[in-house]
Amino acid sequence: MDFNNTKNGDALVVIVSGRMDAITASEFDAQCQSWIEKSETKVVIDLSGLEYISSAGLRSILSAAKKMKGAQGELLFCGLSGMVEEVFNVSGFAAMFKIYSTTEAALAG
Amino acid sequence: MRRYHHPLSVRTMLLTMVLGLLLFPGPGLAMEKASIVLHWLPQAQFAGHYMAKDMGFYEEEGIDLTILPGGPDILASEWLEVGKADFATMFLSTGLLKRSSLPVINIGQFVQHSALMLITKTDAGITSLKDLENKKVGIWANEFQIQPRALFKRLGISITVVPQSSSLDLFLRDGVMATSGMWYNEYHLLLSYGLDQEELRPFFFRDTDLNFPEDGIYTLEKTADLKPDLCRAITAATIRGWEYAFDHPEEALDSVMKRMIKEKIPANRAHQKWMLDRMQDIIMPDEGTQIGVLRQDDFERVSSILMEAGFLEQAPMFPEFYRGPVR
Amino acid sequence: MSKRHGIAFKLAAFILSCAFVILVVIVGYNYNYSRDIILRQAEESSRNLARDTTGRIDSVLITVQKVADNIAFSLEDATLSKEEILELNKRVLANNPEIYGMAIAFEPYFLEHDQLFFAPYYYRSGGRIAFNMLGGPNYRYFYMDWYQIPKELERPVWTEPYNDEGGGDVLMATYSVPFFRTVDGKKVFAGVVTADVSLDWLEDMLEEIRIYDSGFAFLLSRHGTFIAHPDRNLIINQTIFTLAEELDSPELRSIGQKMLAGESAFVPVDNVFDDTERYLFYTGLKYGGWSLGVIFPKDEMLAEVRKLSKVTTLIGIAGFIVLAMLIIFIARKITNPLHKLSGAALEIASGNLDLKLPEINSRDEVGDLANSFGVMRTSLKDYIENLTSTTAAKERIESELRIARDIQMGILPKLFPAFPERPEFDVFASIEPAKEVGGDLYDFFFVDDDHFCFLIGDVSGKGVPAAFFMAVTKTLLKVVSEKGLDPGDIITKVNSDLAAENESCMFVTLFLAIMNINTGETRYANAGHNPPVYMPCGGKPEWIPPLGEPVAGVMEGMEYTTKTMTMHPGDVMFIYTDGVSEAMNPENELYSDERLMDILTAMDKPFAPELVKEIDDSIKVFTRGAEQSDDITMLAMQFCGKCDK
Repeated sequence: MDFNNTKNGDALVVIVSGRMDAITASEFDAQCQSWIEKSETKVVIDLSGLEYISSAGLRSILSAAKKMKGAQGELLFCGLSGMVEEVFNVSGFAAMFKIYSTTEAALAG
Repeated sequence: MRRYHHPLSVRTMLLTMVLGLLLFPGPGLAMEKASIVLHWLPQAQFAGHYMAKDMGFYEEEGIDLTILPGGPDILASEWLEVGKADFATMFLSTGLLKRSSLPVINIGQFVQHSALMLITKTDAGITSLKDLENKKVGIWANEFQIQPRALFKRLGISITVVPQSSSLDLFLRDGVMATSGMWYNEYHLLLSYGLDQEELRPFFFRDTDLNFPEDGIYTLEKTADLKPDLCRAITAATIRGWEYAFDHPEEALDSVMKRMIKEKIPANRAHQKWMLDRMQDIIMPDEGTQIGVLRQDDFERVSSILMEAGFLEQAPMFPEFYRGPVR
Repeated sequence: MSKRHGIAFKLAAFILSCAFVILVVIVGYNYNYSRDIILRQAEESSRNLARDTTGRIDSVLITVQKVADNIAFSLEDATLSKEEILELNKRVLANNPEIYGMAIAFEPYFLEHDQLFFAPYYYRSGGRIAFNMLGGPNYRYFYMDWYQIPKELERPVWTEPYNDEGGGDVLMATYSVPFFRTVDGKKVFAGVVTADVSLDWLEDMLEEIRIYDSGFAFLLSRHGTFIAHPDRNLIINQTIFTLAEELDSPELRSIGQKMLAGESAFVPVDNVFDDTERYLFYTGLKYGGWSLGVIFPKDEMLAEVRKLSKVTTLIGIAGFIVLAMLIIFIARKITNPLHKLSGAALEIASGNLDLKLPEINSRDEVGDLANSFGVMRTSLKDYIENLTSTTAAKERIESELRIARDIQMGILPKLFPAFPERPEFDVFASIEPAKEVGGDLYDFFFVDDDHFCFLIGDVSGKGVPAAFFMAVTKTLLKVVSEKGLDPGDIITKVNSDLAAENESCMFVTLFLAIMNINTGETRYANAGHNPPVYMPCGGKPEWIPPLGEPVAGVMEGMEYTTKTMTMHPGDVMFIYTDGVSEAMNPENELYSDERLMDILTAMDKPFAPELVKEIDDSIKVFTRGAEQSDDITMLAMQFCGKCDK
């Protein structure tokens, strides 16, 4: 899994690409840890490059959201498509998190 | 006839004679003393005499022979004349010429072919003797000039005669165009001075009709009249000496070298060996040659050429002149 | 196949061959170079010697020449009287001690018209100067070399040396100079002046020349006659050419010719004089036309070099032997411990890890090897112990897992047909955990006489953690469901229990339905689970739309809705977990919902038990033995028996 982090104002835009499954989910956890250490409060996660997500990946996202919340931060998602969007919808994650269609929209929101 | 002189007592002499008669029956027990003078210095030219002496052939013939060496200061015919020697060796032409003033006779002819030659250097470019016209030619004195003079007269050319001593130095230094030499001596001397056979262009008198027989034994007529046996014996022993020398060349050379050293004459074995080999060529030119014989036709040829060349007025008759062995 | 050779042998062979080659090269080069040096030095020294010797000889000859030349010149003065000539002769002789005798010989009848010979000769005899008038019938000097040659050649010459018996058998040479007078305006040869020089000092001079032990010098005349040589017999008797003839050596003849030609060279003359090897240096003198030769005995010259080479070789050989022994010793020192280690290794390999290692304490690579070996053995031992205990632990865990699996599977209803006495419906389910234990669950049971509940769930992740969560979830669901609530409420309650104290953020997707087995009315709720398939009998299967409500166990206080639908006889509801649609083949292609739908659609008369088996088979066919990535669970519920339409 690859992470492309860019600062945009006070928000951090993270472009995720690859597969998020039981093996690579720990990388997401580590990334989340780094955001918290860097005191990022607004993290926009662009999932347009994500090909696949498993329940372990979902769990990782959940855990990250919980941690960010605990650190007075928040996660915003954008760029959902294909299987990932479907999974988010079906699992109800779309209802739980702030989902935007584009990065700009997420930054604005 | 000379008496055998011995210092012992008469009694001993009688005793020896009786014993001798009993033990050694045979003719001529008493040793007759005689001397022979050779016509040049000791060298292999006279190997036959030396061998005969060393091997006792003369003794076996009952002769106690003293060999007297010749040389540049000695004229063999003169010694005969004055009685310094009983016998002498000399050339046939010498003998014939001498005959007019001294009654010498030939008792054995050994050298059948002439060894005389004229030698030129190849790079002088003399291809025939005619090329010697007006050139300097080294000629020996005495009888050695007979053949060359006759030859040049025949060819109708005139040459500048340069009297030649026993040295070849003048020729070596190109002082003369041609030099006289004996095949058995001077020719090899030139080789022994470093000239190769290719560098020399010789002309042999043997190849002309001036091929004169040379060495022979001579004595005064009266000696031959008085002691024919002695003469015959001398010749016979000498013949045996030559035969032995040719069969035993190393011994012959030893004998020659010994005498040369004694006379303090410069000698080396290589030169004497050449000389001995050439002597064999001219004493025994063919297998069937009988050593010691003077052929009448040779005698007559030489006589007529000598007369023709004006050296001899009248030639003696063959039987007058020759009392050696016949074929 | 190459033979096995020990290190000692290899080392020895290689090093010794190299050393041998080096030794040979060194000794050979040394010998050749030294020999060349010696030869060059010999040549150099022979040149010097020759120069010195010829110089000394020449200086004597030139002195004599000058004197004679001067006399000849002064004799060209025709005004000299006989007495003056005699006086001149005597005086000059007296003043020049190196001259033995002088003669002034005139042409026949030249001075006096009646005197054939006029050749006064003064010479040294017994400390005085004696006189002799040469010429006479027995001494016709006109034809002697000393007179004839200068006359014919018209230039001065040195005659060939000769033994003068009159002078006591001394070797002499004569220098003759022609002199000329003008007669009637023409230059005419008048006579010859000669100066005799005794050459006995030559013998001594040459004898002084010491060249090693058996080397010597010799002198040749203009025509090659030996005039000085340690073997006195050769002098005057032989020329170098007669010697060559006697020795049968064309080589010597050719050298003689070169010498007489005045050449200079330093040449080897092997087996010419005898069967020893020698070097000859020859050169020509300036005056007289003589040549000097110097003989060097090769053996003696090179004796030192040969000795040196021998000694060097011996040292080399000795060094060789020492080197060989040293190599073998060192090699042994290396290979012995290696041998021991090798033996120990074999022992250890056979299992004896506690073997006492050989004591090797050398401070070098071999000692390092021994140390490393010991370390390796210790760590091997530890590793094996570790591995053993780890394996034991692993086996323990695995056996525990197997038990856990049994337990897990045990809590799920497995007996099929489950309710053979109830014809109102057919239910069939199958579960295949990806690992020993899984996170999927299913259940079915009667809530009351008329209502049958069936459910499916998928815990996030797989393995033991998911299995725990699965067990908890299943138990909660059973317990809460028995209270007779609506599916939505059941899930709301279970969610709230799960979400409390959920540190690990695990969640579970759920689909729960309760069917009235008399009417076919089915109430259902869906918490984030992939939509099931409703297959109406005689109709096209369709997805049961999801409610968009989130997975359970995350949001506390989430309220879930209940939806209702009616199943008609023969209809099938097929619920499954995403292990089905996400089953992968070796090319990482997904089985996919589309394929599932296609297969379900293609089914003619779906029958719950067969249907599940069929899907299961098709999954197996699709995955072609690829590793199972997720738990695969399926449940088919058919209302009122088969579909016969």
